[in-house]
Amino acid sequence: MLLAYCFFILPAQAERGAIMEKIIELKNISKSFDGETVLDHISLDIYDNEFITLLGPSGCGKTTLLRMIGGFANPDEGDILFMGERLNDTPPHKRNVNTVFQKYALFPHLNVFENVAFPLRERGVKKAEIKEQVMKMLSLVMLEGFAERSVTSLSGGQQQRVAIARALINHPKVLLLDEPLGALDLKLRKDMQQELKKIQKSTGITFVFVTHDQEEALSMSDTIVVLSEGRIQQIGTPTDIYNEPVNAFVADFIGESNILDGVMPENFKARFSGHTFSCLDKDFAPGEPVDVVVRPEDVDIVPKDEGMLSGVVTQVTFMGVHNEIIVDIGGFKWMIQTTESVNVGEHIGISLDPDAIHIMKKSKYSGVFGDYSSYSNELDELSDPGGEE
Amino acid sequence: MKWSSKLYTTLIFIFLFAPIVILLVFSFNEAKSLSVFSGFSFRWYEELFSDEATLESLKNSLILALSATVISTVMGTVAALGIYRLRKKWYRALLNTVTNIPMINPDIITGISMMLLFVFVGRMFSASTSLNFWTMLIAHVTFCLPYVIFQVLPKLNQMDGDLMEAAQDLGCTPFRAFFKVTLPEILPGIITGAIMAFTLSLDDFVISYFTSGNDFQTLPIRIYGMTKKTVTPKMYALATIIFFVTLALLLLNNLVDNDDSRKLREKKKKSKAELLEE
Ligand SMILES: Nc1ncnc2c1ncn2[C@@H]1O[C@H](COP(=O)(O)OP(=O)(O)OP(=O)(O)O)[C@@H](O)[C@H]1O
Ligand SMILES: [Mg+2]
Repeated sequence: MLLAYCFFILPAQAERGAIMEKIIELKNISKSFDGETVLDHISLDIYDNEFITLLGPSGCGKTTLLRMIGGFANPDEGDILFMGERLNDTPPHKRNVNTVFQKYALFPHLNVFENVAFPLRERGVKKAEIKEQVMKMLSLVMLEGFAERSVTSLSGGQQQRVAIARALINHPKVLLLDEPLGALDLKLRKDMQQELKKIQKSTGITFVFVTHDQEEALSMSDTIVVLSEGRIQQIGTPTDIYNEPVNAFVADFIGESNILDGVMPENFKARFSGHTFSCLDKDFAPGEPVDVVVRPEDVDIVPKDEGMLSGVVTQVTFMGVHNEIIVDIGGFKWMIQTTESVNVGEHIGISLDPDAIHIMKKSKYSGVFGDYSSYSNELDELSDPGGEE
Repeated sequence: MKWSSKLYTTLIFIFLFAPIVILLVFSFNEAKSLSVFSGFSFRWYEELFSDEATLESLKNSLILALSATVISTVMGTVAALGIYRLRKKWYRALLNTVTNIPMINPDIITGISMMLLFVFVGRMFSASTSLNFWTMLIAHVTFCLPYVIFQVLPKLNQMDGDLMEAAQDLGCTPFRAFFKVTLPEILPGIITGAIMAFTLSLDDFVISYFTSGNDFQTLPIRIYGMTKKTVTPKMYALATIIFFVTLALLLLNNLVDNDDSRKLREKKKKSKAELLEE
């Protein structure tokens, strides 16, 4: 996987900087509320035509960052540049940026048509032209027949689309979306993800998308920015972030991962769980302590005696395409996804290819995310409610 | 159970409306008697409309009520916006309590304290008479203000807080955004507040009594003055008219409110429809 990274992702990243035009630059942005630091020296470049996602747990400052780009919050420190010009003191109505609010914020006293026409009327566009543009926009979001409907009579998904149409009608350079799909049910959310992506491709407008749903971020984005506690943890493409998390936080937040304590005795060698594995990582000091990530789907199950490590299966969950199993290996509970069928109590061996192992530098997040023992405990308690006590 | 609640309702209605019905009937009585209805006539209405002093006081009352309504509605709306914008919870609670005081304070205390204030300030500037139209207006605005605030504030709290930002995001200045988005949202509250202010001001006797001078008499004060002598049936006629005007205002208010609750019902219907869609 590192090879793939070198050949495909690195050039793509170089390209991202070289060819595309920077639309928004955040330079060393800090912000605190009531003495509590919410954004801590954030620097980020957003490029033209890009679908960029701010991803992070609740309270990490995503909305605050978005509101700064929209003009509804001011950084305490640092600058926001829009196409090279300082934007800090420009009021929201003068920014060439529009927002899709989490709860849509449609104007209840106006019907669908008037909601979408609102920005045009503010600009004094001629009546005939307003009608034409609004109708075109409504057809883009597939709401042609709804022009005269009251917005309060629409379903969540329809309101969502009105909000998008209204935000797009001024053809902003950048569209800000704050968890726009958060209020929709799962199926509708999947449909809207695709639609949003399509709209972004066809309009060529830069989307800055906020979510705390990592799957959504992985499937939609060109670039993901992982935030935690007001700091950027990692910026990269979805594959980049998934395959090469920089620290334990990113590894844990994006997808499932077994995060183990290890050392790098030498280049291309990693030692953890009492075994030395070959891997593809280098440039660590000899004997340096590291965090090791192994994704559940990268673990191969082999007969007990042939494995590099071996352990006892403590839990098997049927997930449809694969089984999700928890294996106790020397006290550490691994999560493994496999298509093979194994039984609880069975002794199995596991084997790891060099590219299944990813090495990360130690960080403040090391050791914060344990193994999957709590995961199995939870389920044990569920199945056996009257157990202890 | 059923018949007892019916009886209860009937009794309440009798108690509520019997006096009004008697008033209404005897305002059309030909004679002056309060016990014998001797024939239908508009006599007292005619007399009422030829009584200059009463008409003058009615005009005064209307002028005062309208001015107090306009001023307290504007001030109350602005005050509600101010309270709504406050971030600090305790500060907001404090302001709420302070605005509450004129509402729960007995009228007679508000009246006396206002009078004292006006006389005191008047003495300071050594004015000959310190009580006049303006002192009454100030007093009326003071007691109407909280009612407006308490009608507008809930509407602001119900409103989606992102609406103002959305309007600005779409090209409005903050000032324009208020008129384009916030105002239509809170208008029902403002109208209800204005109607309440108007009726309260029109109706007020106690506070007016303490804060009025000799040159500006309102209708309730005049009626009070007349009852000290003999009550003529033209007062019934006047009271009947006022009752129907108030009733009309009440109905108007309910129309505004109904509009609101219809929106709510639509919302409920919509969420049901969404559930069905799944
Ligand atoms: N106006 C404000 N006043 C005080 N604190 C604020 C304000 N806005 C945000 N915060 C605080 O800043 C922190 C980050 O908030 P923010 O809304 O940016 O988080 P978020 O990443 O969008 O979270 P979520 O996923 O829950 O929406 C939170 O702790 C929040 O309480
Ligand atoms: Mg948020």
